Amino acid sequence: MPRTSSRKGPTNSSASSNSSTVDLFRAASGRAASKELERIDQLFYSYSSDGSSMIDPEGIESLCSDLEVDHTDVRILMLAWKMQAEKQGYFTLDEWRRGLKALRADTILKLKKALVDLEKEVRRPSNFADFYAYAFRYCLTEEKQKSIDIESICLLLDLVLGSQFRAQVDALIQYLKIQSDYKVINMDQWMGFYRFCNEVKFPDLSNYDPDQAWTLILDNFVDWLKSKRG
Amino acid sequence: MLRLVHMENSGLVKMLLDDKFEDLGRMYNLFRRVPNGLSTIRDVMTSHIRDTGKQLVTDPEKSKNPVEFVESLLEKRDKYDKIISLAFSNDKTFQNALNSSFEYFINLNPRSPEYISLFVDDKLRKGLKGVKEEDIETILDKVMMLFRYLQEKDVFEKYYKQHLAKRLLSGKTVSDDAERSLIVKLKTECGYQFTSKLEGMFTDMKTSQDTMQGFYAAYGAELGNGRTLVVQVLTTGSWPTQSSITCNLPSEMSALCEKFRSYYLGTHTGRRLSWQTNMGTADLRATFGNGQKYELNVSTYQMCVLMLFNNADYLSYREIEQATEIPPSDLKRCLQSLACVKGKNVLRKEPMSKDIGEDDAFSVNDKFTSKLRKVKIGTVVAQKESEPEKQETRQRVEEDRKPQIEAAIVRIMKSRRVLDHNNIIAEVTKQLQSRFLANPGEIKKRIESLIERDFLERDNADRRLYRYLA
Repeated sequence: MPRTSSRKGPTNSSASSNSSTVDLFRAASGRAASKELERIDQLFYSYSSDGSSMIDPEGIESLCSDLEVDHTDVRILMLAWKMQAEKQGYFTLDEWRRGLKALRADTILKLKKALVDLEKEVRRPSNFADFYAYAFRYCLTEEKQKSIDIESICLLLDLVLGSQFRAQVDALIQYLKIQSDYKVINMDQWMGFYRFCNEVKFPDLSNYDPDQAWTLILDNFVDWLKSKRG
Repeated sequence: MLRLVHMENSGLVKMLLDDKFEDLGRMYNLFRRVPNGLSTIRDVMTSHIRDTGKQLVTDPEKSKNPVEFVESLLEKRDKYDKIISLAFSNDKTFQNALNSSFEYFINLNPRSPEYISLFVDDKLRKGLKGVKEEDIETILDKVMMLFRYLQEKDVFEKYYKQHLAKRLLSGKTVSDDAERSLIVKLKTECGYQFTSKLEGMFTDMKTSQDTMQGFYAAYGAELGNGRTLVVQVLTTGSWPTQSSITCNLPSEMSALCEKFRSYYLGTHTGRRLSWQTNMGTADLRATFGNGQKYELNVSTYQMCVLMLFNNADYLSYREIEQATEIPPSDLKRCLQSLACVKGKNVLRKEPMSKDIGEDDAFSVNDKFTSKLRKVKIGTVVAQKESEPEKQETRQRVEEDRKPQIEAAIVRIMKSRRVLDHNNIIAEVTKQLQSRFLANPGEIKKRIESLIERDFLERDNADRRLYRYLA
């Protein structure tokens, strides 16, 4: 931004010569920014239920239908991640603002377009691990809860890793449903699944090294796969 | 050389089987002059012992009788001890080979710990009666030798505790000194922790005797003739865990029991007493309809049932259950022992079947006779466990191991701070070796549980490393 010394309107004589333009720019962008914020807030209130400061599941459903995305679509989870939403099924005003501001989306149309880029952003390896961990935490509903039941984990695996690692996810889901050692999965095991998909050759499993301190459930999964192969 | 060793009818194995000490001695002296000579003999001997040992412990016939099972193990040990001393000049390497072979096959039978404890139980209850002290020591030392081979020493401890409890409570031990001597040997072998509870059991018995004296000194006059009640006060935690459902005691007893309770709690504030009605015994003087008089030695449950018949001629199962509040499975076993066992059937049951039905009717068997004046009907003797009991004990042992494994992991990680997976497994296994062989899968499970509870974390960069979280 070129600095000029031209002035408009009353200025502080003791201020530096180019401060006025910066102020103007700030003021201008500030005005634009506050307009954007206003629209974001308005958008929020159009989905939140009267009198509450949250968008509830119903509101989210209607948001989804406006976005033309199914509410079980992974992109909604990605949106929640962008917002760093804490409670599954709800968006607070702060979370909403955080997400939409980062996406530079203050209308439904812009939000819809932003989802496409968001997906690319999330799938970048540097972000994906964080998103993957977030997905687990997002499903913890009770206060002291540390694990998620098998059925939900299977759904989550499919949602989050299914498009990228179809074969592994299918096999893993099959195994999780028939094994009886574990009724719930914790964060450590969850992260292990992602590492497994990323690092272990599938389906030959040739580089699976039991000395690598994989979680026991993965050791058992590999044993099961190998025994199936015969 | 190998041909000589493996010759069918005169080879090494035959010589071992037939205790051909001289021939074996000659072979030993010959072969020691040749490179690999002795190791050849040793290897053949080792595999022979392992094979025959494996056959022995997996033979279902031999496994039927625990005492015989252990005796054949001891026989085998004695046999090879003799061979090694007479023919192989007490060669240390042969001794070691013998030990490792025994360690190998003894642990092939998961019931070995239980059987060794039952063997000891048999000896201490009757087998050592009249045996000289030094001979007792010899037998106990031999038992200790077998004990050392056990990988699952914690299983042995569990059974030993159960069997010891029964011996102590029924007063059925042949020699107090022998009992103590074995505890000392176990302590020397495994440390104070292993035997502290066992010693606690002995202490409780002694203390109870003192308590009894105090009780009768205080109430003697009031209670009149003779000691009708003998109480053993057991410290929970030292004795094998029991459920504490107390049944209804006959009125003749409950007053006396209450007196004891208030006496005891008067001198020991802050304690809670609960009657373990599933562990006691009673002597009853019974007069039957045919005029016969007997002294019946029964369990507390059996006493509760029999006393009901002082006031009733016929009682149904249901009525007995209601009156005594004995748990159903125990009550059924109790009634079976009183009505369905030949020579001990002081009660009659209608119908005569072995199974106990809700509507079965019981009455005193007025035709009861026995050759002995004193009839023992109680069932407090230690026996080989039934299949479901065995499963239960095994489960309890596995549950007990989990916190021990976790404690070992935490101890190691606390001092090392960061350690890789394989080393943790190795160190934990080593630390627990004296009690049981820790399963690497189980150790992994415990590590994961500790990660979940934020005691440990995985290193971000190297996944094989674990970090201790203060």
